[in-house]
Order: sequence, then C-alpha cells, then structure tokens
Amino acid sequence: MWKREKKPIVGVFGFSGCAGDQLAILHMEDSTIDFFTSADIKFFHMAQSHQEVPKMDIALVEGSINTQRQLRELKEIREMADIVVALGTCACYGGIQYLGEDEETFKERMKYVYGKSGEVPEFLDLVGKPKPAQPISDFIDVDIMIPGCPISAENFVPIYTKLISGLLPQKYPMPVCVECKYEGNDCFLLHGKYCLGPVTSAGCNAICPSMDISCVGCFGTYEGANYPSMISKLKEIGLTEEEAIRKLKLFGGNKVEQALKGD
Amino acid sequence: MPKNVFPDFIELIKTKGKLFGPVKQKSKYSFEEISDVQDLDFDYQRTVLGVKKFLTPPRYKTLSFDKEGTKDIIDEPETNIVIGVHPCDIHAIKILDRLFLGNIIDPYYASKRENLTIIGHSCLPDDKCLCQSTGTDMVEDGFDLFLTELEEYYLVWVGSDKGLALTIAAGDLLSEDISDESIREYVRWQQKRSSMFKAVMPSFKYMADIITLNYDSEIWEQFGEKCLSCGTCSLVCPTCNCFNVDDKILMNAEEGFRERMLDSCTLPYYSMVAGDHDFRPDRTTRLKLYYTHKLKEYIGRWGQPGCVGCGRCVTYCPVDINVITVSEALFGEVCDTKEVCE
Repeated sequence: MWKREKKPIVGVFGFSGCAGDQLAILHMEDSTIDFFTSADIKFFHMAQSHQEVPKMDIALVEGSINTQRQLRELKEIREMADIVVALGTCACYGGIQYLGEDEETFKERMKYVYGKSGEVPEFLDLVGKPKPAQPISDFIDVDIMIPGCPISAENFVPIYTKLISGLLPQKYPMPVCVECKYEGNDCFLLHGKYCLGPVTSAGCNAICPSMDISCVGCFGTYEGANYPSMISKLKEIGLTEEEAIRKLKLFGGNKVEQALKGD
Repeated sequence: MPKNVFPDFIELIKTKGKLFGPVKQKSKYSFEEISDVQDLDFDYQRTVLGVKKFLTPPRYKTLSFDKEGTKDIIDEPETNIVIGVHPCDIHAIKILDRLFLGNIIDPYYASKRENLTIIGHSCLPDDKCLCQSTGTDMVEDGFDLFLTELEEYYLVWVGSDKGLALTIAAGDLLSEDISDESIREYVRWQQKRSSMFKAVMPSFKYMADIITLNYDSEIWEQFGEKCLSCGTCSLVCPTCNCFNVDDKILMNAEEGFRERMLDSCTLPYYSMVAGDHDFRPDRTTRLKLYYTHKLKEYIGRWGQPGCVGCGRCVTYCPVDINVITVSEALFGEVCDTKEVCE
C-alpha cells in the first residue's frame, strides 16, 4: 500500500485565458473540498488571497503567455516548482488566441484596438508589454500536459492525484474517436459532416459527438494526428483547404502550425 | 413459433432477466435495454459495437483500493439476455471465449459471460457483409437460442441448456410440430440469403499466404499514409479485445480503482515498452500489425481468421481502410508482382 510522506505543496496559476480551468477545479463539486485537503494549496488566486509564489512540489499553470510580465512570472514559477503542469489548451498549445501569433497581424490588431500608435496606454502598464500569445512550453520545460477547454474532471483528477501521491501518470495519447466509439456513436465524417475527432486529444469523453455535435478540437492536438489525411478527408466532404486549415488551427495552436509547416 | 405470439415470448423472456436488443438510434443501431417489444428492430445489419460491449465493456472497474487493501470487482450473478445477435457476432463471441476462457481464465470476462444469455436472429446481408467469405455466415453453436425469421414462423434452434430452459418456460408459445413446408421454406430462405452476398472474396482463404508474400510490400505504406490512427477499426471490431489498465486515485488521495479500457494497436504508444522503446512508432507498422494479426496469425493459431465478416470496419473507417480494401490490395499485389495468379 502506498503511503505519502507529507502533503505536497501545490500552486494554481493563471495567465491569459478565460480562467475556465481554475474554475473547473472549483466546480468539481464532489471533489472540490478534497482538492483543498488532499494537498497543501499554497497559491490559488481564484480561491485564496496568497500573494507570494511559494516553493512548490507541483505548479498547475493555466493560460497562454502574452505579456513580458507574464513571462517573468512564468519563469519564476518554473524555478519554484519541481513539477510544472500545463493546465488547459491555452497553456498546452496556445489556445484560440494563438490564431493571432503572427507578429505582423498582431501589430495591426494593436493599432485597431489602441489607436494609431498601437501602444498600450500607460494606465494599463501593470500587465506589461503585450506580445502575441504562446503556450508556456515555448518558454519553460513542462512536465505534464492536461489539455481541455476547459479541462474535464474525469481527465484531470486521475493525473493530478497520481502526481500528489508521488506516482507517475500514464502517458497514453488517444484521439476523441476512441472515447466516441466507447460511447457507441456513429461517425460524422461518414455522413458528410466535419468533425475533428481524429486529430483531437481525448479526455472529454466525446461529450459533443455524443450530443450530436461535431468535435471542434477544443482539447488540442492528438499526438498521433495525421493532418494531411485529415485535410483531404475534410476536402472530400466539401470544405476548401483554407476552411479545413482554419478549423484545425482554431484550437490546434503551435502543434498544428508546426505540423502544417512540415516540422 | 408463430409470429403472432412473439410479443408474448418477449414478455416471458423479460421475466427471466434484463433484456437487450437492437434499437434504431438515428443513423445507427445499438444493443439497448428493451422495455417495450416495439423498440426492437430486427431489420438491421450491424450495431456500432457488437456483443463485446457486454463482455469486454469499453471501460470498466476491476479492482478497488483504499488504505486497508484491495478488493476485486467481479460482476454479481445476474441474467442479461441479448436478443437479435447475428451469426457473425456469435462467431465473434466464440473467438472471445477462446481467448478469455482458454488456458488462462479471465475472471472478469468469465463472470460477464456466465451472466449473458444469447438469442441469435437471422439476417440478410448488405454490400458490406463478407461473412460468407470468412466462413461465419452460418452458426451451429455459441448461442442459447437462435431464431430464423420465416414468413409466418420463427424457426427456433436450441443451442444450450440455458436455451432449453427458456423453451420449456415458453411452453405453448413454441411448437415442436414442424411441417415439411416450413423446412422447405427454411431451405429456400437459406438459398436466397446465400445468393445475396455481394462482398465475395475468394482470396480470403489464402490470406495468410498472401500476407506472408506481401510482408514488405509498399501497399502498407500507402495505407499507413492515409490511416488517421483513430482506433475506430479496433473499437468497432467484434473480436478486437486488447485493453489498457490504469489505476485511478480519487481526489481525496486515499482510495481509488483499477480500470480496464479497450485499446487499439493503431494508437501511437501501443507498442511502447519500458525505457520508452517503441517497436511500432509509425502508422504503417501499426496497421500492418493489425492486419497480420487478424488475417494471418489467427489463421495459424486457430485455423480461421480473426475477422468474422461483420462489415463494421467497412462501415466505420472514415478513410476506407478495412478488411475488404486491404485484402483486395494485397491480393492484387500478389497477382501483379509475385505472378502467382493465372
């Protein structure tokens, strides 16, 4: 029987994103109280008022990085934590905001929002100088990725509880299709409707296809994804190449970008 | 059994256990629990998941653990009756039985199998059914009862003691008085059914040899390029049974359970072993494993392929990689390059 020496110290951090993954932790209902008792939660902005980043065993980091200040803070977290977990699709792959990672269009958008100069007004300086959004793995070593938009409790809890028990979570990438067939669903792609299940990470229990809604890929890219074949399948059912790529990029972030460039 | 008493027969069966049968759900069929005889729809070719969903469910718990120790989770004895099972799916159950109840008995499967009563039902093929080529279009055993639907009657075959007990319970609903005309009608029906198969693959008989000859063929690369590694083929296959095991700890970090999940050899880390060594890191070798296992190794071991010709991979693979397209491509390759065809 396993026995823990002491409760590990855990911090929950949020960068750019909707904070949905932090909320998902608080929203686990039956497990929420256990989350605060099974580990020593030392930093969790959404739930507590600690201000200082402690020395941690595990840091759960949500959101993408798009200011210089966030980058500084992220590096500080990496230094203070033994294990860094990227929580949610934004932290893992960049999220929807990664669509604007291109430096040129980023400048144009800044001008559109902040006027001719494209500079952030001084009173907003507390967030630091903005930059295009990138996943945290672009800047620091990430030990574990738990994608999701937001993360699902069924996927998050078993990985997290292994970490706080000093065990190594099993890494076994699967696409949404596997969970979709677990549910006994038919396949959209066979009926001329798009679905990104074959290129999207599982973990959601195929909740959308089970409700008769196509997968939009919110759990980010699946490690075994075959993009060329997926794109030709989407074209076969009537999408243009441009439309297919746009759908893949929506949540695919840096991984889709790299795959399309042939990296 | 006259057709007009069939609803009474179903009512009787329902008193013996939980009844499951084919139900139409939008574009697909599924074995679901039956409360009303009207829900049953026997005019179907294939469900998404076969009877394996009762025997090796996609995800189920095998063990629970807490600070005190561990406890096996074995199904309590109960009766689940599944009606409307086609011959191909019964053959698939026979294959699963051989694997899970052979030299080493899997206690989880054994309890689920013991709890399951199988009532087969006749069917007519569509263009995806290739059971005639795999030799699984007829079934003599592996069921408890088997119903063949004729014009006015069901011809009922009894396949086990469990089945016999059901017929005894059914009493007057069944009659042993079978006329010559009924037998003639049955023979005519069988002949009609045999002539309806469109997916006829004579090459299936030599598939083990064909695969051996084609082991290094470029055909595999072509399929590997197209394959989405989505695992659908394995999950819908009624004989695929590979599973993964994971221990899951609850949020209190004090208790948890061990879970079995259906796996697929087309997934990226399937052949990963200790030290991060992966024997099959690319799609081509994984797909080759799938087909050599199913169509060659099974024949070498059991004298029949691991394919029962149900047509599920033919129906559900999004990119048309299935037993028909793979076999045809391999057979064509043998004819073209190995010059063994006349």
